[in-house]
Amino acid sequence: MQITPMEVYKLLPKTNCKKCGEQTCMSFAFKLINREKNLEDCTPIFEEKKYSSQLQDLQKLLEPLKSATETGLIVEEDLCSGCANCVVVCPVHASDDPKGMGSGFGATIDDPILRIEDGVVKVINMKKCRRYGKNRILCVACRENCPSSAIRFLEG
Amino acid sequence: MVVCSGCSCLCPDIVVGDRIYHACRKGSAIFRYADENRLKPTVDGKEVDVDTALEKAGEMIANSKKFAIYGLDTIPLEAQEQAIELAEKKNGFIDDNSSFCLGDFVEMILKNELPSTTLDDVKDYAYVIFYWGTDPYHSLSRHLSLYTYYPRGKKRQRGYEEDRFLVIADIRESDTSKLAKKNARYIKVEDDISLVNSFIQVLDGKIPEYMDVSRVITEMKKSDFNVIFGGLGLKYGLDGRYDVFKVMVSRLNEVTNVYFLPAGFHSNMRGFNELMFEKTGHINKYSFEYGESRDEFEFKSLIRGSNVDTVLVIGSDPLNSLPFDVALGLRKVNLIVVDPKRSLTSTIADVTIPSAVTSVEQGGTMVRSDGARIRIEPLKDVEWTDERVLKRLKELV
Repeated sequence: MQITPMEVYKLLPKTNCKKCGEQTCMSFAFKLINREKNLEDCTPIFEEKKYSSQLQDLQKLLEPLKSATETGLIVEEDLCSGCANCVVVCPVHASDDPKGMGSGFGATIDDPILRIEDGVVKVINMKKCRRYGKNRILCVACRENCPSSAIRFLEG
Repeated sequence: MVVCSGCSCLCPDIVVGDRIYHACRKGSAIFRYADENRLKPTVDGKEVDVDTALEKAGEMIANSKKFAIYGLDTIPLEAQEQAIELAEKKNGFIDDNSSFCLGDFVEMILKNELPSTTLDDVKDYAYVIFYWGTDPYHSLSRHLSLYTYYPRGKKRQRGYEEDRFLVIADIRESDTSKLAKKNARYIKVEDDISLVNSFIQVLDGKIPEYMDVSRVITEMKKSDFNVIFGGLGLKYGLDGRYDVFKVMVSRLNEVTNVYFLPAGFHSNMRGFNELMFEKTGHINKYSFEYGESRDEFEFKSLIRGSNVDTVLVIGSDPLNSLPFDVALGLRKVNLIVVDPKRSLTSTIADVTIPSAVTSVEQGGTMVRSDGARIRIEPLKDVEWTDERVLKRLKELV
């Protein structure tokens, strides 16, 4: 299931109590997905009994966040067959390693974002990804070109 | 860096260390599991040493009246040469998987009936990349990313989004067809002949059956380098009517440049086809006794018709891959299996001779799907490679 701010917001108390330090529950939902806030910052949902079923649903919904990388990338290795489409399409790889990954070959640099190891794609260095950090852009080149949907992002 | 011999892509950039880098799932398994499930030398199911097995096999071949060699597609050219010489020495039959695989297309390319190119040129210059009746994501995992659609080449610096146009023609939506998004077309084919005719209809100025074809031809005209990759779907869709396809390609070449490459077969199938073509003028299903190539000399016809008494299977697992009646027929012949691994065929063989895994224990030359000859350096050397086994058998016969 896609983890969108709206889905998270629906399960939050929606009281805009500001106890988490945010102005609204909606902005808390955004920060929750970006992992700038933790669910524990929302004290009412833990303390008040009427939210207990909502809390369970929310924890279930946010479960993939734990396995996702800093940029929200989730790799399901079982689905991957190592075609290296993601490695070659990545614009960062193309600029950093034009003769290697940019031309279709395997990585010749030590810290690529993704690399094919033992026939499946592995995340090596997420810090280089265009989705990382404050000035990120929501690039989805690797997901768009994965034929078996082994790569996905938290937002869908 | 080692060359992977998993499929006809022959990826040249594999790094083998504590892990296998850059190889696809299929390729990495060759290196990772090279030592597992190894074949032992046996005669009639009893384990013996290699020399005894070789002598027994030599004796069986020497005494045979109608001898056939089958397989050959995963072993290097040097070993294939030995196999061809052995078949010639015994006046026997020789066949490989190409007789029901893409051999017909390789033959047309070798006879210059279809214009062909190399995968390196495809990477550097190709604009329209047309996969017809093939699902390269599964059959040749790195084909798209290493040679065709995704890499940035000399004249195609801007990558797939602007500098390539992908066309997938397939009978059903495959994993590869999911990639046909922007600057791409997926054509759902009901009948391959109608699609071929659609191309001719558009060139004649008529309304085609498949409307997407006119867009494809418009895109093809934008560039002077376009490629069609034909797979087994195209082969069986055309069902022998290759003349219309050849007419289509030559008509397309009147308005733009279109090349053809076969896509999707064993690592060295084209190598065998080229060797046979140089030696005999035919590419497969050849009988040295009659000196010609006929459909009845195809391996499965030979077995069905009980036209052979001794079969040497090397680098293949026919019991697993061929139809049931052929598999049953294999029971009735004297069967010699040369293979590095235990396979279904090796379990019913009279004599099994272990050999080496290509690109791990044995090297040599292999021919990529576009005809480029790739030199393979092995990671280590072993005593009995395919070439040495076949050479020894040739001496014994």
